[in-house]
Amino acid sequence: MAQQDMLAAAHAAVKSALGKGAQEASARTYRVREVEVKWRDGSLEKVHEATTRGLGLTLYVDGRYSNVSTSDLRPEALETFIGDSVTLTRALAKDPFRTLPDPKLYEGQAKVDLLLEDPKYATVTPEMRRAVAKEIEAAARSVQGAKSILSVTTGFSDTLAESWRVSSNGFSGSRRDTQFWVSAEVSVKDPDGRKPEDYAFGGSRFVGEMPKAGEIGRDAAARALSRLGAKKGESAVLTMAVENRAAGRLPAYLLGPLSGGALQQKRSFLEGKLGQAIASPALTLVDDPLVPKGFGSRLFDGEGIAAKRMPIVEAGVLKSYFIDTYYGKKLQMAPTTGGPSNVVWTLGDKDQAALLAAMKEGILVTGFLGGNSNGLTGDFSLGVQGFRVRGGRIAEPVGEMNISGNHLEFWKKLAAVGNDPYPYSSMKTPTLVFEGVQFAGT
Amino acid sequence: MPENPGMSRRKLIGLGAATVAATALPDALFRLSSAAAATGPTEGIGYFARFGVTEKMLRDGLSAALSRGADYADLFFQHRVGNSLALEDGEVNRAYASVELGVGVRAVKGDQTGYAYTEDLTPEALVQAAKTAAAIADGPAKPGPKGLKADTSLPSRYPVKTRWEDVRPQQKLPLLSGLNEKVFAADKRITKVNVFFGDEAGAILIADSTGRVVEDLQPMTRLGLSCVAEQDGKKETNGYNVAGRADLGYYSPDRLERIVKEAVSRTVILFEAVQPPAGEMPVVLGAGASGILLHEAIGHGMEADFNRKGISIFADRIGKPVANKFVNIVDEGTIAGARGAINVDDEGNPVGKTMLVENGILTTYLHDSISAKHYKVKPTGNGRRESYAYAPVPRMRATYMLPGPHKKDEIVASVKKGIYCTNFTNGQVQIGAGDFTFYVKNGYLIEDGKLTTPIKDVNIIGNGPKVLEKIDMVADDLVIDEGGWTCGKDGQSVPVSQGIPTVRVASITVGGRGKQA
Repeated sequence: MAQQDMLAAAHAAVKSALGKGAQEASARTYRVREVEVKWRDGSLEKVHEATTRGLGLTLYVDGRYSNVSTSDLRPEALETFIGDSVTLTRALAKDPFRTLPDPKLYEGQAKVDLLLEDPKYATVTPEMRRAVAKEIEAAARSVQGAKSILSVTTGFSDTLAESWRVSSNGFSGSRRDTQFWVSAEVSVKDPDGRKPEDYAFGGSRFVGEMPKAGEIGRDAAARALSRLGAKKGESAVLTMAVENRAAGRLPAYLLGPLSGGALQQKRSFLEGKLGQAIASPALTLVDDPLVPKGFGSRLFDGEGIAAKRMPIVEAGVLKSYFIDTYYGKKLQMAPTTGGPSNVVWTLGDKDQAALLAAMKEGILVTGFLGGNSNGLTGDFSLGVQGFRVRGGRIAEPVGEMNISGNHLEFWKKLAAVGNDPYPYSSMKTPTLVFEGVQFAGT
Repeated sequence: MPENPGMSRRKLIGLGAATVAATALPDALFRLSSAAAATGPTEGIGYFARFGVTEKMLRDGLSAALSRGADYADLFFQHRVGNSLALEDGEVNRAYASVELGVGVRAVKGDQTGYAYTEDLTPEALVQAAKTAAAIADGPAKPGPKGLKADTSLPSRYPVKTRWEDVRPQQKLPLLSGLNEKVFAADKRITKVNVFFGDEAGAILIADSTGRVVEDLQPMTRLGLSCVAEQDGKKETNGYNVAGRADLGYYSPDRLERIVKEAVSRTVILFEAVQPPAGEMPVVLGAGASGILLHEAIGHGMEADFNRKGISIFADRIGKPVANKFVNIVDEGTIAGARGAINVDDEGNPVGKTMLVENGILTTYLHDSISAKHYKVKPTGNGRRESYAYAPVPRMRATYMLPGPHKKDEIVASVKKGIYCTNFTNGQVQIGAGDFTFYVKNGYLIEDGKLTTPIKDVNIIGNGPKVLEKIDMVADDLVIDEGGWTCGKDGQSVPVSQGIPTVRVASITVGGRGKQA
């Protein structure tokens, strides 16, 4: 379907739902073109190319609620689907808290160009994707120690995503965005029989701003080679620095329990903490949906609510929750937005090397492996790997270790925040340093 | 049970708060519209005839996929209707439904894959997608199949009395409400209950360039119950979930009772639970869900794509001893009604039982067609995919360990200081380094051979081959877990099962932070 047809399909779905008995409805249609090339050890491994599309529909029928989706957009099939969905909804219990957002919240969208779509998207050719993937492999194999490399897999992917959203109480919006990503995975042979692997990747909204292929390849190879000889360290309470690339997992465990659903369902260790110190003064986080070219940027959220900057934590004090329309009504709180967009940090003044120099002894965590966090109690336990830090410098590699703690204590021990926000994620974490972390090893 | 998206590509998660769409239908909800101009049944095309899929369409699609010289091609048609209902704050007041309809085309040249798909099931769109996939090769066209032959030899591992598309929501609602009432009645400390009920009526058709055509109908259902309890101002949450390829009859009174009992007892015991100490210690894994150990410690590493590429820690170890001789590890798709059961894999290959480890010797990798060709062996029926939007790769089905010579009591009694683990939420592995983790939700300290204080929320980390060697006791009490496990790899999720008897790992790192005993 052409662009105007997908918008028309959203309008038609809402109209059809209202015609079949819904009092309110919102529809979202999308179309995504994605191409991915994988290259391995000197030859093309895989080309994946498709344009996918579909429709999602939220229905409010006689005080009841459902959310449905389909990829079968044949007009007759769609009519049947919407009719069935209305029938399904009628079978449920009433829920007085379900409504579309207050239309006033649709107003006041920022009048900015978020620069999410590259007009040069269509100029990317199959030859270019292959050439970049090949170049990444060559770079990986150019590093010192490359003869230990067992295998290199590299990739290039690009996406054009388009979506259209229409709600029966007046919202209509659309967006188009592009992304370009490159990646490398390198496996190396350790004399002890293990085959440690690591990866590097990076992306951008604009093809001309992609990370350099050579840097990605060399980074992946250097990281994998740095794992050679990794050993389990001793169990101990130590200072922990977390590399910016790996650190995004940690604030994510704070953001989940900030959702209205978690609060209302009594499943949040941050319930009742608004206005209280939940972290050290070193932590200041802002949810900023309006970052130009940001991976989490948006003008409106998943309900159509106009996107605004929102403080989350200021100098350690909790400032906001993520409240959508439904849980806002249940909690009698004003809606903010359903979930985070880009997380922007107040940065420190040191890079990783300077932070390690100041910390002197401890462990630099460069990756997590599995583990989980209990959103109700704040207890967490995570597998880690990285390097021992001795005398302020990176020393031997360590792996097969674990950290554990409770977020309500852990974030109060945040001692320093780096000046190096990670560019290839909406979480934008800098290097973080925590004191007194329980490591498990031998 | 939050699962972290992260970059990790091989991980196993329990049925968490996934709001994956799925649901049910009154009389004929979400069946097909009448638009399905079938042209009468042709070779192997039963279910998909309603979408206008014909033998000519299959042949034209395959020919287009071979038009640039690929060695092999296949088409994967899929129609999957998912329905789910959820109960919160005492009411079943939300429903989710999803309809997935599409076809994926794969062209294979050597070990190179071209893949494309479309949701538009017209002959024109199929040929267009096939030409896109075909471009992986760059040579003269190969001929398509001369004729198509239906594979009618499929077993019936998940027969259903009533397909999910014929079950009305009104028939399911009492299940959720009944569980809610029973949980509140079971313990006064319960303050919140969430119930998720999902079902799927799935259909697939695979046609390949050898002319083989096969169809399978694949039902699935999952039910998860999660609760919050409060005691002395403290709150805890936990739950229980079940899943299988089955119909509504799966929810027997016994099973429903077990769901309530397990969810409540696993939650309220957390008020007494502590953190184990940090460090290496003996770990006893209870029968059933502890099969997560096998999934992470060996299962992924045995997937043949990683070995074909030489990047698995198990590459080049076939025929070598990797464990005690009483250790036997299996991956199979034949357990009737199991979540990990399949009648046929997603490449159309037959599915049986594969021995990963036999009498302690590493025996067979898990193959898809590409790796089987590479190793010059028969495919093992492990070629699986999340949906038509993905090319298949080697994946596990139901992975478990056969019973061994020891007794559970004897194993627990053998440990002076360690832990005993029963319930898990998720795990992850690094294929090459071999390091893996799994997250323990419930368990006990073992002190002087006895289970003592309950434990909670602790991650365990080990190295696959090292831990296999350290499995020094295996009991005779094999249980295949009934939980709704989902395995993630290369961005694709597939349903799996797992199981194990009670086993002892002589030493592994426990990521606790409790007092050293």
